[in-house]
Amino acid sequence: MYEETVNLKEAKEDELRRVRVALLNILEDTEESRKEAVSERNKTMAIIENLTDGILLLNKVNQVEIISPPVVDFFRKEKEAVIGKDVSDLFSGEDLKQLKEALIDGEAGRKVKQIFRQEVSVGNRLDLEVTTVYLKTESEEKGVLIIFHDVTRDKLVERMKTEFVSIAAHQLRTPLSAIKWTLRMVLDGDAGALSAEQKDLLEKTYVSNERMISLINDLLNVSRIEEGRFLYKQAPGQLEEVVKTVVESSKELFKMRKVSMSVDIPEGISPVNMDKEKMELAVQNLVENAAKYTPEGGSIHITLEKHEAEVVFKIKDTGVGIPEAEHERIFTKFFRGDNVIKMETEGSGLGLYTTRNIIDAHRGKIWFESKEGKGTTFFFSLPYAKH
Amino acid sequence: MLKKILLIEDDKFLRELMNKKLVVMGYDVVAAADGESGLAMIKEAKPDVVLLDLILPGMNGFDVLEKAKADPETANVPVIILSNLGQSEDIEKGLKLGAKDFLVKAHFTPQEIINKLKTIVE
Repeated sequence: MYEETVNLKEAKEDELRRVRVALLNILEDTEESRKEAVSERNKTMAIIENLTDGILLLNKVNQVEIISPPVVDFFRKEKEAVIGKDVSDLFSGEDLKQLKEALIDGEAGRKVKQIFRQEVSVGNRLDLEVTTVYLKTESEEKGVLIIFHDVTRDKLVERMKTEFVSIAAHQLRTPLSAIKWTLRMVLDGDAGALSAEQKDLLEKTYVSNERMISLINDLLNVSRIEEGRFLYKQAPGQLEEVVKTVVESSKELFKMRKVSMSVDIPEGISPVNMDKEKMELAVQNLVENAAKYTPEGGSIHITLEKHEAEVVFKIKDTGVGIPEAEHERIFTKFFRGDNVIKMETEGSGLGLYTTRNIIDAHRGKIWFESKEGKGTTFFFSLPYAKH
Repeated sequence: MLKKILLIEDDKFLRELMNKKLVVMGYDVVAAADGESGLAMIKEAKPDVVLLDLILPGMNGFDVLEKAKADPETANVPVIILSNLGQSEDIEKGLKLGAKDFLVKAHFTPQEIINKLKTIVE
């Protein structure tokens, strides 16, 4: 009897011990989970706090939950003063007006709009690229994440570049125009008669000066494209119109180079999305190259072909061709063929580089076939504009 | 009567060259070296055509053009911009303000400029 009681007591104590251990384990696990959660939260906060982009997190009733230091700077508000406040309270002040318009949909009950990389300026002091992301699980909305990317510096550099190009072109052209006008007038006899030898020398000077003028145009075009990559005014348009304009304006050049020129354009080509000015430059470079590198008496033929999803431009010449060994480098900056350098033709080595950039930016393809001494055909394709 | 051309150009040498060519070609030429006096001369001299530079000391060519077009007395005087600016934004702006043509100096000889001008005065 006594023994039985002792056994029972021991069994109970044993059980109690086990329960205690189990309880302690659970507590330990909970504590660990809590620590883990805290550390995860700290990690997330550390990431958010240290991002150069600004992060604003709103809960599902549009109250500010997290505001990262860059956003505090952008809005010029105290962090403590805005946490827990409605998002629309953030936008007091004249310079935040545009930001409010871009972000808050007043009609839909002060809802945050869905935007992606929209550029908004804040007064005259900042340019921000703003993106909003709705956070939700399958069943419920969890809030909105707003990301602010500061593009003030990029915009400033862009403006400075444009201005530089404009001023540089103007300043470089002014003395060259004076030289051009003087030479032309002297050559035309406006300042008295010239001997044949004088005339010959001045004609050559005039040609040199023209080369300088077109070099400046080429150089400044390339900077525009690199700045752009970056098409400015893209709209649906007809490639055949661009081709016709360029051919029309190049007639003088063909006559001077004594090469014949023909164009074959089918009816009913679908429109393509393009920056017309850039596309004209691309076509013009190909036309000028063909004219420049085709000897007297040669011919140039331009065709447009309708394909299922794209239009293909083709320009075939009977010119000097591109040496096989140089095929790979042809679209690189400052490339000039070995054979054409010997011809002493003018050229900056920027034409095809520029053209390729333009075609790339239009999501087109450019390629060529060439045989030295026989001629070259350049092709490019542009996808039709989507309806 | 000779057709009268007003030349608004701040570069002295370019002004002299263009002036000489215009006189040789049989035009009556008046000239101004800045925007303010150019604008005043559009009103006083009543030219048949204005050749207008854009980068000018003080009032620039765009302003001259805008003011000339806003004044009913001078609104109908044809203006050709003759400048070495040539970015598409500049060209668009000039034509929008009412210029008949936009010629980049470095791309035209004096003779070619006069040919353009002839199509307007005759």
